[in-house]
Amino acid sequence: MDDERYAYATGRIRAMETSLLDRGRIDRMVEASGAEEALKVLGESAYAEHIASLASVHAYETMLDQVLHRTYRELRLFAPDPELVGLFASRYDYHNLKVLYKASKLGEERDELLVRDVGNIPLAALQRAVRDEDYRSLTRTMRDAAKQAAAELRLKANPQRVDLLLDRAMFTEMTERACQFDSPFLDDYLAYQIDLLNIKTYLRVKRANLSRDFLEQALLPFGRLDLTKLVQLADPPEVLADRLLNSSYARFIEDAVLSYQKTDTLTRFEKLADDFLLRHVQKAKYTAFGLEPIAAFILAQENEVKLIRIIMVGKINRLPVAEIKERLRDVYV
Amino acid sequence: MEIGLGLAILGAAVATLLAGIGSAIGIGIAGQTSAGVISEDPDKFGLTIVLTALPGTQGIYGLIMGFLILFRTGLLGGEVIALTTAQGLGLLFAALPIGFVGWYSAIYQGKASAASIQLIAKRPEEFGKGMIYPVMVETYAVFALLMSIMIFMFLPF
Repeated sequence: MDDERYAYATGRIRAMETSLLDRGRIDRMVEASGAEEALKVLGESAYAEHIASLASVHAYETMLDQVLHRTYRELRLFAPDPELVGLFASRYDYHNLKVLYKASKLGEERDELLVRDVGNIPLAALQRAVRDEDYRSLTRTMRDAAKQAAAELRLKANPQRVDLLLDRAMFTEMTERACQFDSPFLDDYLAYQIDLLNIKTYLRVKRANLSRDFLEQALLPFGRLDLTKLVQLADPPEVLADRLLNSSYARFIEDAVLSYQKTDTLTRFEKLADDFLLRHVQKAKYTAFGLEPIAAFILAQENEVKLIRIIMVGKINRLPVAEIKERLRDVYV
Repeated sequence: MEIGLGLAILGAAVATLLAGIGSAIGIGIAGQTSAGVISEDPDKFGLTIVLTALPGTQGIYGLIMGFLILFRTGLLGGEVIALTTAQGLGLLFAALPIGFVGWYSAIYQGKASAASIQLIAKRPEEFGKGMIYPVMVETYAVFALLMSIMIFMFLPF
């Protein structure tokens, strides 16, 4: 095993993990009396320097962008395989492409949704691809998807179709990039993520009474479950839960599906799915050498950003504490 | 030079060589992990240095064994003794336990140390517990040194 290459990186990651927020601080933020108060609790942590320069509570998104930007920059510098960081960073390229396509072709100008300086490809290059159809800086998979998306938008402006194309390309690219590491940890993570997204798609398609053809188009490849074989669209949702009793998702799928049926929202499903993925990621805590701690740190930091966002959105909109807690994910540490 | 003396010198070289290689690799691994921790948290230097130095002991044991053998041959300070082939071979065999066990145990101790350094990066208060795991690897290096010295002492001369 050549995993000693990771000796420096894992040491550094373990030290960095101490500045991740723990459950206690997250709970205190949730129970704070308002957005200002929640930020003050956050300010007692490693976020202090960011908070000091914050103009108002509404600027917290800039702070979260900075945190992500810094995490990716640092990890790219010291990870033995910068490619590993690239695997996760490619998600931001696809995200930006989606935003840009919607902006240019549908007139939805949403610059604040763009994530700068995190992805592998500079924003300017992505803008060139969308505006001038200049695909030189894009990866092969991305280029193919972008060409298709452009053609699709020339015919008729269907943003959903573009999202689907780009999602499919994103998971194709991530799975391809993960191949070179030959790591069950990464492969499982991606397959779980794809499966859970596919289950979500199935539930949505079923709800909207769309056709089987549409479902087949919308399902992502590279998952472990073949939903079209497993269930029929006409089956009640319990059948899905039943069929998955022997899968990795058995522990929470019934709860997730039933709560969707009851409440008609995917909030609880998404929370349970995220917690399931995080539990997989947490296995990296027990790996002394290898790529796992690096990958896990990226995902843990992103999870933390998501948690802070959920809390801040809740606090700014004055949601009751219980309602914010329902949406909260587990923490990595 | 007699074959016996040559074999004894080979023994001194093997003990120092193999155990030294092991220690260098072991400290190399632990040192990298320490550097990773220190780059984020320089205050942990004092704790990491102890754990990083642990895999160094095998190299010292190998060196001790090497010295003992050289003294016995009289190459160090004194007259060179005429050793029979069997005596030389005996001294070479005395070097093998610490040479081989030192080599491997130092590498694995380095890994255990690196893992413990990761532990104290998160929980410096558990330094004592973190010490125990790599020290357990040390036991086997000590046993090997013990066997090396016993072979050395009870060799019929």
